[in-house]
Amino acid sequence: MNLQQLTSSAKGLVKSFGLPRIIIGLFLLSLFITAPFVGVNIGTSLSDTFNRFGMNAVMVLAMVPMIHSGCGLNFGLPLGIIAGLLGATISLQVNIPGPTSFLLAILFATPFAVILGWGYGQLLNRVKGGEMMIATYVGFSSVAFMCIMWLLLPFSNPTMVWGYSGTGLRTTISTEGYYRHVLNDFLSIQLTDHLTIPTGMLLFFALLACIIWAFLHTKTGTAMTAVGSNSVFARASGINVDKIRTLSVIMSTWLGAIGILVYQQSFGFIQLYMGPFYMALPAVSAILIGGASVNKASILNVVIGTFLFQGIVTMTPSVMNSMIHTDMSEVIRIVVSNGMILYALTRKAEVTR
Amino acid sequence: MTLHMTKTQKLLRIMGNNMVPILFLVICAFGIPLSGYSANFLASEIVIRISRNSFLIVSLLIPILAGMGLNFGMTLGAMAGQIGLILISDWGIVGIPGIILAMIISTPISVLLGWWCGKILNMARGREMVTSYIIGFFMNGIYQLVVLYGMGAVIPVRSNALLLPRGYGIRNTVNLIGIRRALDDLLLIRLFGIPIPLATLLVITVLCLFILWFKKTKLGQDMRAVGQDMEVARAAGIKVEHTRIISIVISTVFAGYGMILYLQNIGTLNTYNSHMQIGMFSVAALLVGGASVSKANIRNVFLGVILFHLMFIISPMAGKNLIGQAQLGEYFRVFVSYGVITISLVLYEVRKKRDQHYVGLQLAADQEALQ
Amino acid sequence: MKLALTRTFWFRFVAILIILVFAVVLFFIGKQHTVLIDNKTVTVGGQEIRALQLVEIQIDNKDSMELAARDRDKEDVTGQKHSVTVIYTDSNWEEYTIERTFEVPLMQEMVLLSIPTLVANPEADQSLWLENYEPPTYAVTAADREEEVIIDDLSVLLTDI
Repeated sequence: MNLQQLTSSAKGLVKSFGLPRIIIGLFLLSLFITAPFVGVNIGTSLSDTFNRFGMNAVMVLAMVPMIHSGCGLNFGLPLGIIAGLLGATISLQVNIPGPTSFLLAILFATPFAVILGWGYGQLLNRVKGGEMMIATYVGFSSVAFMCIMWLLLPFSNPTMVWGYSGTGLRTTISTEGYYRHVLNDFLSIQLTDHLTIPTGMLLFFALLACIIWAFLHTKTGTAMTAVGSNSVFARASGINVDKIRTLSVIMSTWLGAIGILVYQQSFGFIQLYMGPFYMALPAVSAILIGGASVNKASILNVVIGTFLFQGIVTMTPSVMNSMIHTDMSEVIRIVVSNGMILYALTRKAEVTR
Repeated sequence: MTLHMTKTQKLLRIMGNNMVPILFLVICAFGIPLSGYSANFLASEIVIRISRNSFLIVSLLIPILAGMGLNFGMTLGAMAGQIGLILISDWGIVGIPGIILAMIISTPISVLLGWWCGKILNMARGREMVTSYIIGFFMNGIYQLVVLYGMGAVIPVRSNALLLPRGYGIRNTVNLIGIRRALDDLLLIRLFGIPIPLATLLVITVLCLFILWFKKTKLGQDMRAVGQDMEVARAAGIKVEHTRIISIVISTVFAGYGMILYLQNIGTLNTYNSHMQIGMFSVAALLVGGASVSKANIRNVFLGVILFHLMFIISPMAGKNLIGQAQLGEYFRVFVSYGVITISLVLYEVRKKRDQHYVGLQLAADQEALQ
Repeated sequence: MKLALTRTFWFRFVAILIILVFAVVLFFIGKQHTVLIDNKTVTVGGQEIRALQLVEIQIDNKDSMELAARDRDKEDVTGQKHSVTVIYTDSNWEEYTIERTFEVPLMQEMVLLSIPTLVANPEADQSLWLENYEPPTYAVTAADREEEVIIDDLSVLLTDI
């Protein structure tokens, strides 16, 4: 009897947790277990994983509002990233060194995120049902458009523009001297020689996550969830569906902008031009790995998903390399992340909405 | 007076329906003098691009007929074609026999991949395009696994010119010297100094005739019915799922052949890149030709190739002469390629919604009339 | 899945069979071989055969080439059956023409055709003057270095199509 109970509860657990997630979780666990045996330092690995988690978590969080309002997966994340890049470059142009520049970057990015997000939201309201494909291409074309702009905009800070011509921004700009590692180093804890926890960055994510969580429990937040789960019912109960959807898109775009700023401060470089092109895919697959679906997502999904995804991305190259002396991690990353998106797109139960 | 009004309206409607081609005509009209290229150069470039790309673009037509939208999964066919080319290069089969053999090898791979892709798209009904797009990425991972790790290790490949020095995996670029321009040079004539590869154009014509014939067959009619209304088609006894899978299989197989023709013209294969770019550019070219997600024909293909590639050829030079930076032109054409796809997708969704709205109004009016 | 042996099945079966046979035929007629033509003094069976002073060679109907003593040239051919025409003059300025057909084995990428041997034994079996040639491996490995594989999706966006 006990066995039966056990198996049925195990089945329930598998069902609630999702089979792909369990496989990926076990895979990551096995990587962590094998790591010490093949000579990979577990401290460094953990430290890298935490670091990457912090770098990417906000961009994954940017998926949540749009999924909640039923706009689907935000393949248009590059638009938010562009708002962030504009904030970053303007902040560097103003040329105030130190941590202030990070706040300035957020400040400058916000109006762009709101304006771009508003337009993007208006567009998505006109194409209900086909959001995801259009979002993908809105992201791509905006990145390509900004490539032209980076060449033409009148930036002049010598750390940013090409040295020989004096115009046109570089492809990568160092944030050294400005906001490099402002969050990473804030209250960071050095446990051992190899294991450092970037407390500030994790706290920053926690703060944003709490704000989003709290927002989703306000009146507007619940309205957003209602729109996402049944837009006809929501309309009937007097909610302005289009307005709520636009708000969610603006929030997603803004979070994308903040996300790239957090990424840059840890990475140390601002990547312009084609840099943001494929940044949506890892974020999308991360939240799906965390248990979200095309129209359902929570903060917990973000945390679990980012940790699993970034864990695999960090661990596979080092473990694989020392095990079989070939780096197959790139292939594994492509197959896992896109496989996860495919899995989510093809689930029958989720299609009906 | 009223007649005049309707004429203007008609004109406006035609303009509205052909917005993208008209926009491109304008871009090209401004760009050609800016670029400073001679008419002869442009004409010969266009002929090359037509013979190189149209087969690939034609392969997109059948899924559109079946109502599955733009088949971004055509990259799967391109991968199959590339595998065929890698194998014949290793075996040293050259010339026309090499091309045909590569096609024969690619066929079963394309059929298998297309069948799998169709199965998945049936599971993701209503969002075929984004799914086929992700399938392209997913299969790219598998393709890398096969080509970068499998070839030379599991799949026998012996040629040192193909293999990486480590002994397995294919190099970044594969020189297709053996089949380079084999079909193009088979029947090359010069018209006003413009080289015209008649044999390739003949193959493309045959394909176009096949498409026209196919639309009239039972299967083609079934596809049209499925594309218009799946439920009605099912009620009429058409095997909807099966028909949809077949349409993707045909598209994938043709994409594989198209890729082989494309690469025999170029002469070098970028093992890990060629297939990824081809999907995007083919889709963009088809849309530039005035096609939409739900309606496309052969006229769109050729108009699209000419306009899109004209823009592609002139924009770096035009950018250089206008601003002094060729790079600007390169970014501009990337932007235009993606922009065109975005605009077409948006227009399609907006029109679909408007039509649905109209049908709803009609239904309500009918109901009212009944009461 | 049960295999139904209907007419359609047999049609498909035969069609696939024909395509397979066709593929094999293509393999035979499309296979490229390199024929190295050698005009050097060689020793066959302990007997020295001197190189010809000047000789004109034509493989199939391709452009003919002239080889002086100790020259070596090559010709790319497809398929197995080929002909070689050798035109040379002896010490009395008398012109001779030798025409022979030969068959390159399918899996040999490169064959070496020795002109002096052919001229000395115009009626002999082809194995006497035609042999498989393996390019020395050091010639390949010397130029080789480790190559970085680029699987960057983004690089494709700005390349020409």
